[in-house]
Parts: sequence; structure tokens; C-alpha cells
Amino acid sequence: MKDLILRSRYTLLVVTLIVYMGVLVAEGMITGREARVIKFENPYFDFSSTDFEGFRERRNDDEDSRVSFEDSGDV
Amino acid sequence: MDKFAILQFYGLIKREVLEHRNLFIGAPAVVALLLLVATTWAVTQVDESQLAEGLRYVSVLFDGLSPFDMAPFFMLLAVPFYLTLYVCSVIYLINTLYQDRKEMSVLFWQSMPVSNLQTVLSKIVTIVLVAPIFYVLIIFAMYLIAMVWLTILGISNDVDLVGIGYMFLAAIASLVLIYISAFVTSLWLLPSVGWLLLFSAFAKKTPLLWAGGVFILVGFLEDFIFGTQFLANWVASRTSDPNQYLIFEFQSIFERIFNYDTLFGIVVGGILIVGAVFMRRFTD
Repeated sequence: MKDLILRSRYTLLVVTLIVYMGVLVAEGMITGREARVIKFENPYFDFSSTDFEGFRERRNDDEDSRVSFEDSGDV
Repeated sequence: MDKFAILQFYGLIKREVLEHRNLFIGAPAVVALLLLVATTWAVTQVDESQLAEGLRYVSVLFDGLSPFDMAPFFMLLAVPFYLTLYVCSVIYLINTLYQDRKEMSVLFWQSMPVSNLQTVLSKIVTIVLVAPIFYVLIIFAMYLIAMVWLTILGISNDVDLVGIGYMFLAAIASLVLIYISAFVTSLWLLPSVGWLLLFSAFAKKTPLLWAGGVFILVGFLEDFIFGTQFLANWVASRTSDPNQYLIFEFQSIFERIFNYDTLFGIVVGGILIVGAVFMRRFTD
């Protein structure tokens, strides 16, 4: 096992990163860690880092409606 | 630890300081010089009567107050030094092990009775404990010059110097806070220290690019494979709020060092540092 890990710098890097990520993900799952909210307030538009999912859904809805509009042949 | 091991470690730290004196002494000295020049220029723009009035106000403000209570005021003056220390630390950490391999001095050090663990630890101790000492000493020299200057101004304008004396004591007390803040910040950001050292030991070329690129790649892979964002969340939770590691009052020192987040960060940083120690055996 030790020989395998220390075979080359790449295997050592991959193993180190796997252990690092494993510890981080396990701790994150146990403690339920969440990202801090970044809010950018201004008079022109609303931005919140937690709202990316909503943004993605809105954009998909817009694209779907555009496709159906183009399919209708009125353009 | 025997006397020989202590001397070995002292020698390694001395080597780090001598090889990187531009980052640890030159950079903060330049910042201090720039601040003094800027302050002198600003003072020359103010009318002398207004200057005397301002000095009287400051003297009354600090007079009789505990220097430990007023010390946080001077933390603001240390902000340019903190920023310089962060930038210099990143430059140092990403280059230190890489430079050893590039100039082949790693072969010399490995032929000496010094282990890879000692070498990597000496670099961490240099950045966590030693570099802030130089920064604090230079800030102290800057405060000393400023105080002498303020005293001369005070004498020439008949200002009560007791308040200025209290201000100087508060400035001295702030040096302790500045040093401990730098120390706690290094512990808090130990995962970043470990990450930079790991890629400094790993990369054959452009270690900074490797460190940044792999970080982004690992974040994407986590999101892609597991659908989670624990890495991004963790980094965001540790870097977004400087209040987590800057110390503004003496009472909170113990609490800042011995809390779950700091200790967990030390464990995670330890994993990466162990990786860097083993990585150092690849000298090509």
C-alpha cells in the first residue's frame, strides 16, 4: 500500500486530495455545513448567492418558452 | 528534544529568514516608509493651529484610559501590514519548496542530518511565528518615530503630553494584539498553508497555477460526482469574515485558538502538510 501511494508524485497527490476531500465531506455531512449567503443589494437588481437554483430554473423556463414561440412559426 | 535538534531547527529557521528577508523585512519596511511619507505629506497640508487643536483632542481622548482598552484603535493602522503579510506569505509558501528543487539545493539539504519533516515544519514555523515578529518590530519602529514626532509637535504647541504617553502605551499594547492576530490567522488558514506547500512540493512548473487549477477542479468534481459543495462551503465559511481570526480584545484570545473550527482547520491543514512532507522525496 505504502509503495503504491509513494510510487510517483501523482499517486501521492491523488491520495492526499482524496483523504483531504474525504475528511471535508464527512465533516460537512455531519455538521450540515452551509455556505454563507452573499447578498449584493442595489437599486437596479437583486442578487443572492443562495438564489442560483432559482436563477437557473427561471432561465430554463425562458428558454422553453422561446423554443415554443419559435416553433409556432409566427416569427 | 535535545540541544542538537533545537540548534538544527534554529539553523533551518535562520536560513529561511536570510533567504527571504525581502518578504519578511524589506516588504513591511517599505510599507512603513510609505505610511510615514504619506502621513508627513498629509500633515504638511494642514494648518499649524488646526494641527495643534487636533493633537490636543487626541491627547484628551487617550488621557487616563486603559491602554488595553484603547489598543484596538491601533489595529486599523496595521491593516496595510496584514495585507502585505498575507501576500508575502502566499509568495513564500508557493515558492519555497519549489525553489529548493529548482535550484537543486534540496539535494544538499537532504544530504544533511535534517529530515523532510523538519524542513517543512521550519517553513511553517517561519510563516506562523517568525514572520509576524519582524512585522511587529517594524510597526513598533514606525510607532516610535511617530511618537517622537508627536512629542516634538506637542512641546512646540504647548499640548499636555500625558495623553500622548497614554496613546503610545495603547499603541504598544496593540502590538501584542497584532502579533496574536497574525498567529491565529495563520492557524485559521493552515489548510491554505498546507495546500500551497503541497503544490510547491509537487509542481515541476508554475506551482501557483497548479494550486489554483486543482482547487477549482476538485470543487467542480465534488459538485459533478457527489452533487455537494462542501469544499466551496468550507472555504467560504473560513475566508468570508475576518472577525473569525482577527483579535480585538485580550479576553477572546483563548476562545479564538481553542474552538472547534480552528482545531478542525489544523487537522485538515495537517493532512496537506503530511502530503507535502512525503512529496518532498520526489526531487526531480
